[in-house]
Amino acid sequence: MALGLWELLFKYPPLVFEKGRIVFATPLPAWVLVLATALAALAAWTYLLRVRELSGMDRAGMLALRTSLLALLLVLLFRPTLQVPVAVEQENYLGILVDDSRSMLVADDGSSTRAQELIQRLDTDLLEALSERFRIRLFSFSGDTKRVEEVGQLSFLGGQTRLGRALDQAQSELAGVSLAGLVLVTDGADQSEAELNSSVLSARASGLPVYTVGVGREEFQRDIEVRRVSSPRGVLRGTSMMVDLVIAQNGYAGRTVPLIVEDEGRVVNTQDVELPMDGTPATVRVHFTADEPGWRRFTFRVPLQDDELVTENNRRETLVNVREGPQKVLYLEGEPRFEVKFMRRAVTDDAEVQLVVLQRTAENKFLRLDVDSGEELVDGFPLTREELFSYRALVIGSVEASFFSREQLQMIVDFVSERGGSVLFLGGRRSFAEGGYAGTPIADLLPVELDPNGDPDYYRELKVTPTRAGAAHAALQLSSDPAESAERWSTLPELSTFNRLTRLKPGATSLLVGEGPGVEEGQVVLAFQRYGRGLVLALPVQDSWIWQMHADIPLEDETHETFWRQTLRWLVNEVPDQLTLTASAEPAAINHAVELQAELRDSAFQRINNAAISASIASPSGASTELPLRSTNQVNGEYLASFLPKEGGVHQIRLRAERDGEELATSTLALDAAEDDGEFFSAQMRAPLLRRIAEETGGRFYGLSDIEQLVEDVQYSGSGITRVESYDLWDMPIVFLLIVGLVGGEWAFRRRRGLP
Amino acid sequence: MRRPYARFLAMAALSLPLTTAAPLGGHGLRDASPGVTFARLTDSAPAATAPPILPLPGGRSPSEQKAHSFYFTRAMYSGWGGGWGGGGFGGGSWSVDYPVADRWIVSVLGRLTGVDVFPLENPVRLDDPDLRRFPFLYALEVGGMNLRKEEVEGLRDYLLAGGFLVIDDFWGESEWYTFEREIRRILPEYEIVDIGLDHPIFSTFYEIDEIIQVPNVGQGIAGGPTHENGETGRIPRVRGIFDEQGRLMVIINWNTDLGDAWEWAEDPAYPLQYSTYAYQMAANFIVYAMSR
Repeated sequence: MALGLWELLFKYPPLVFEKGRIVFATPLPAWVLVLATALAALAAWTYLLRVRELSGMDRAGMLALRTSLLALLLVLLFRPTLQVPVAVEQENYLGILVDDSRSMLVADDGSSTRAQELIQRLDTDLLEALSERFRIRLFSFSGDTKRVEEVGQLSFLGGQTRLGRALDQAQSELAGVSLAGLVLVTDGADQSEAELNSSVLSARASGLPVYTVGVGREEFQRDIEVRRVSSPRGVLRGTSMMVDLVIAQNGYAGRTVPLIVEDEGRVVNTQDVELPMDGTPATVRVHFTADEPGWRRFTFRVPLQDDELVTENNRRETLVNVREGPQKVLYLEGEPRFEVKFMRRAVTDDAEVQLVVLQRTAENKFLRLDVDSGEELVDGFPLTREELFSYRALVIGSVEASFFSREQLQMIVDFVSERGGSVLFLGGRRSFAEGGYAGTPIADLLPVELDPNGDPDYYRELKVTPTRAGAAHAALQLSSDPAESAERWSTLPELSTFNRLTRLKPGATSLLVGEGPGVEEGQVVLAFQRYGRGLVLALPVQDSWIWQMHADIPLEDETHETFWRQTLRWLVNEVPDQLTLTASAEPAAINHAVELQAELRDSAFQRINNAAISASIASPSGASTELPLRSTNQVNGEYLASFLPKEGGVHQIRLRAERDGEELATSTLALDAAEDDGEFFSAQMRAPLLRRIAEETGGRFYGLSDIEQLVEDVQYSGSGITRVESYDLWDMPIVFLLIVGLVGGEWAFRRRRGLP
Repeated sequence: MRRPYARFLAMAALSLPLTTAAPLGGHGLRDASPGVTFARLTDSAPAATAPPILPLPGGRSPSEQKAHSFYFTRAMYSGWGGGWGGGGFGGGSWSVDYPVADRWIVSVLGRLTGVDVFPLENPVRLDDPDLRRFPFLYALEVGGMNLRKEEVEGLRDYLLAGGFLVIDDFWGESEWYTFEREIRRILPEYEIVDIGLDHPIFSTFYEIDEIIQVPNVGQGIAGGPTHENGETGRIPRVRGIFDEQGRLMVIINWNTDLGDAWEWAEDPAYPLQYSTYAYQMAANFIVYAMSR
């Protein structure tokens, strides 16, 4: 409507004015123009003399109207002309890229799909109109981009929409020909935005406008989508997992729907979720236990509700490596303390965690508990990296820094930073600053700042409270019901500390704080930080056993056991093995290469370069592939291979490293390959993204409804082979309206003011 | 006049190392010290089988003393016997050897082991919720035990929560039956079994390869027979009660008197072999209780 009015007044579309430049193209000789200008000036002067006797207001009004008219006529005499570069007919190519992915099968209005609407709009007169001026090159794209001859060849079965890759491949295909622009017809459900940014920059640099056509609606009327699942990659068997999900929805506000969690098809939890107001995502936390070992596929789904527009986005899957133990944790305690007894009891039923205790019971006298052999720890705290690094986590109790040699202190640091192990420092008279750790390598490791001297007389009782981060942390959930967990935290008896620790290191997180008489604000009870590859925790209390023994704690209460089981499992859960394997894309796309990256270390966790590593890959259909990994020669201990999944489903990859025929280490990875991953998630048409692509490259964004405008706009793209066309401006209707307006205005002014 | 003198003697005795012969006269100390400590209470409260929480020297109750890793906690239980203090001087049978044996044991243990030990006695009633703050408990002369319902419940919960009980100094069949009757009220579902020398409690800190009968001080010094209460008191036994996970909850030292050996260790007339054994056993009990 607005555009029609514009063209009625200005004769040409706005894009012509935007792209063109105004020049004066009068055929009259210069002296005629000078003469005309002089005459106009004379006429203005004469007129000024005539209206001199009028009052100020009248004179100004008459003068303004008449001189404006004279000026306008004078300008028209110079013949203003718009010069626009226009694509030469049939000399330029136009690349039209049509989204061929499965998300195009979404029926936004519940009746016809995006694909059907698109075909209808493209296949009628539009392509014909474009081909009158351009040589059309049609591409279909999803994960890959390919030439097609006609729209009918589109299947709309692709996955992994990659707008950036499509733009790159089309440009590459059309390199060397004069290209007027690219037209990108898509819903914008891109799976790789980083890649897209670089492609847009590249198009912009080569002056190639990208015209984007958005297909679909920006918001679904009725849909529920499990949008995001945040779950750990690996856990110990029997771990009570806590997974956060985001459920987006429109059209079902206030409805309670079940969220079902399945472990390889077996329902492990069902939780009711009340959906919030339309457009507001619900954040849901589900708890369940990972009981079965191996790589497990966990599914989170909301059953289809009536009239949902997209039926494929109600479920998400995630692969989790459920490891079997026992995973060894070394607990060094510097004195006989009840912490040892009760911590051991707390995890005694946990078959996956082996708490090995080395307890100094007197000077140079040690008690070893739960060791595997008579030799283990026979010389006290490990003296070699190999021995220390055979544990996955350390708990260091009340033991002074001088107990360790300098080498042992550094080894503890390396245990975290290089081996990727976890260390938990417990409170006590000989812990932290009070144990003389300030200025040692351990001080760097800790998530808290130590006072240089410590305070040997400091003793405070603490009411322990989770911080906001603590309340949300998996290890600190005392119940599967968050409200119940919070209630239990609030009723736990007080603990005590000898260690005044209130300053966190930058990047550290406080999970539990203590309050009480004489206790400074922010007294840390539990804080952690990542350090190198590993994790460091500070728990500066010495009597967590009170949570087991206190008279206010019922006998059946499991708080103490839960706290320690979850904390120790947290310590060991993500500690890497000697051989690790990751894939560059998880899940992978069928028929797209994925890079497998392995890292190999010896028992002292030094990187090994000269090993032979091979991957045995079992595909879902049972086919087996052997794939050698090659050393990168760039990063020590790093090995790579490229794997092309050819079928959908979970590929079981078993990695074996050997040297001189001796097996060094093994590792496994489950890699899911999918056709349609992500296509139906966040599948609403993403107008802002498409608009940005167009604006950054000098193109324009259209909806399917105004796609006809594209035909006209694209010829002014300025790209490709163009010729300059001149458009007269003097005969624009707006000019005649102005002249009539000025003459009529003067007449009306005279009448109104009673002027001659 | 007697009280300050007696306290001085007690504290002076405690400052001596274990192996030093004390010329101060342990017998006098034994008789005097409990009377000093509890004189005020006996003035104000009638004799009762379950006395209230007693103030410690320094006027602080046990609940105010939490900063140490270990408290040698003595069970104050109801029973027969009149008055307080050891040997029937004004207390129930729970208070035999109290508090001198307690002070000796904490003093010596602090030196033998790395335990951060509260340096005084710590008697707590079985029905006192504060008992649960002290996961190690010592009870003796249990042949005179006669628990009230609240005490049975308190001790049962204590043990099931993770507390560790050491029983000492009761002799012969008659006292055994009394104790057995009481412990059956506390833990009816658990059996009492003999503990073999291969059990870790005999090697946790010291290697103990023989169970010795520790006589009371009189018999020890006299050098005669070491047993009491007739023939059934002749063989020393170490028995235990284990929970479902096989963890030791109660260790029962029958037909032996470790407490006297702790108490009289500084007496040059008391045989060293008994006090050495008793302290070794105590160190093992305590280290075991703090680690298993």
